[in-house]
Amino acid sequence: MSDRRQQDGPRRFTLGKAVQYLAIAFGLFWSLAPVYWMLATSFKTELEATRIDPTLVPLEPTLANYIGLGGQSLPFFAFFFNSILSCLATAAIAVVIATPAAYALSRARFRLRGTVSYAILVFRMLPLVVMLAPLYLLLLNLHLLDSIGGLVVGFTTFGLPFAVWMMKSFIDAVPIEVEEAARVDGYPRWQILLRVVTPLIMPGILTTATFVFMEAWNNLIYPLTFMTTMEKQTLPAALVLTFTGQFKTDWGGMMAAATVTTLPLMIAFFAVQRSMVRGLTSGAVAGA
Amino acid sequence: MARITLKDVAKFYGDAQVLFDCNLEIADHEFVVLVGPSGSGKTTLLRIIAGLEHISAGDLYFDDRRVNDVDVADRDIAMVFQNYGLYPHMSVYENMAFGLRRRKIPASEIDRRVRGAAEMLNMAAYLQRRPRQLSGGQRQRVALGRAIVREPAVFLLDEPLSNLDAHLRVQMRAEILRVHRAVTATAVYVTHDQIEAMTMGDRIVVMHEGRIQQVGTPDELYDAPANRFVASFIGTPAMGFIEATLEGEGDRAELVVPGLRLNLAEPQRKALARSGARQVSIGIRPERLVLGDDPSADWRVAGTVDVVEMLGSEQYVHFSTEAGSLTARVSRDHPLKVQESVTFSGAAQHLHLFDRETGKTLA
Repeated sequence: MSDRRQQDGPRRFTLGKAVQYLAIAFGLFWSLAPVYWMLATSFKTELEATRIDPTLVPLEPTLANYIGLGGQSLPFFAFFFNSILSCLATAAIAVVIATPAAYALSRARFRLRGTVSYAILVFRMLPLVVMLAPLYLLLLNLHLLDSIGGLVVGFTTFGLPFAVWMMKSFIDAVPIEVEEAARVDGYPRWQILLRVVTPLIMPGILTTATFVFMEAWNNLIYPLTFMTTMEKQTLPAALVLTFTGQFKTDWGGMMAAATVTTLPLMIAFFAVQRSMVRGLTSGAVAGA
Repeated sequence: MARITLKDVAKFYGDAQVLFDCNLEIADHEFVVLVGPSGSGKTTLLRIIAGLEHISAGDLYFDDRRVNDVDVADRDIAMVFQNYGLYPHMSVYENMAFGLRRRKIPASEIDRRVRGAAEMLNMAAYLQRRPRQLSGGQRQRVALGRAIVREPAVFLLDEPLSNLDAHLRVQMRAEILRVHRAVTATAVYVTHDQIEAMTMGDRIVVMHEGRIQQVGTPDELYDAPANRFVASFIGTPAMGFIEATLEGEGDRAELVVPGLRLNLAEPQRKALARSGARQVSIGIRPERLVLGDDPSADWRVAGTVDVVEMLGSEQYVHFSTEAGSLTARVSRDHPLKVQESVTFSGAAQHLHLFDRETGKTLA
């Protein structure tokens, strides 16, 4: 590569490159501008946040909105805890169920294997709203409405098909000889899955769990439908319900809460970023 | 220790048949090599013996026990895979100990066996390493070690050297034979490399298109191939063939080959007459072609040199005759050039005669 660059001399700035950079800049602006606006507004006073001529940078930066989150009037930390609990439980349950399911779809040879695989995929393509009524009735009959458990059931129904497909691609990439060696060593299938395959697909499990976690975290419609007690609400739903009043919206408070809401997602993403990239591209090249 | 018997073993994948009526008896302690080109069914046969593939038809016995439906875990075998099949997340020690732990062998015994195998394979210094920290040769040793520690009745090796470079391959060949002598288990070894087969096997099973073509010692396969495929597959450089036609009837029948003067030996004449074949392929091994026009020789063939391969101590001369192309092994004392006219001669007993239609050996 370096040799070729030397031969080419200094890289020329072509029109194509200019368009490419412009497109990247626009994409970045498009994605990051709302994030900046959220951050900036979270540090503004109530008055500044609702000015007719908005300010780009807070004139008098304040932490009042963040301090207000911990105030007595709003069980913000309860919302946060509800979200963390329900999403972590969803991610954990999804990978625990998805791993053996994906293993069966990847390795076992049975009639209707393809049909089952695609049925799972089709389930994933249904809009969230379609599942709302049946899920509501199901949770009602199971007496799980307005409970974290019910919410986890709802989140899992939607996260699981995706998790199965994603885990299947990771298991497909495990060399079959490794499993056959374990069979020759005398291990039964479930132990091979547990002791040989699972350690090898750990990056995949983390990646899948992160995706399921993020999807559950961002899910607004299920908590708004299934939860009636305010204290049991998840964070995104609580944001909508508490910061928007009939006559006034607390923009500063809402943006501070939104910032705190996105933090776990950011942390989760950066924590598994490396293995996620490796996971998503595994098997793409020979020897990977 | 085990004697392995295959009776009319066949294998289907859907409608496609990949193994046909395989019959084979492998003696206790024997080192048998399954050899053949890609797609010949040798690996499928090995996997059937291992229990990794189900038998579609026929029977498989370990000693007198029918093992068709016995799970791989209960067959008392150990297998070395082409791509090693090591557990990437375990150390070399754990790789070797993993199978023993399953069998509830005491830790002290596991430790003794693993260290013993590592010692035998010069891997004692690498026991704590992961497979990715090892070279190809070292990984192959770990795979061998994993098989050795199990002390199995049957050792199965699926092209274990195909990922190694030529030098390492020769070294590991000797190592595997040394290990086999030490553990004295029955061994079945799959390779597509006929040199590996010839140098390692007590007996060799040549396979082609899902059928066993011939079973024999290296000498038997080389000197008395059962058919044209075995003749051409065994030996480096390969046996050359020229095409001939049988003319005349009975005792007066003569093999006519353009550009070749031929006096067949009496047994060869009789065999030809008995067979009734009219179209015959004559096979000549490269070392049986003697450079020069020897008037006392049984046959002489003239041609033009196409390619000369210099190997240092000797040279392979590929030349064209009117009836086909042949290869001769010639001492480097006789330098030959491309396009040069050459004559080779030899003894009738060194000619191999095959029925061109069926490929079967006639004499």
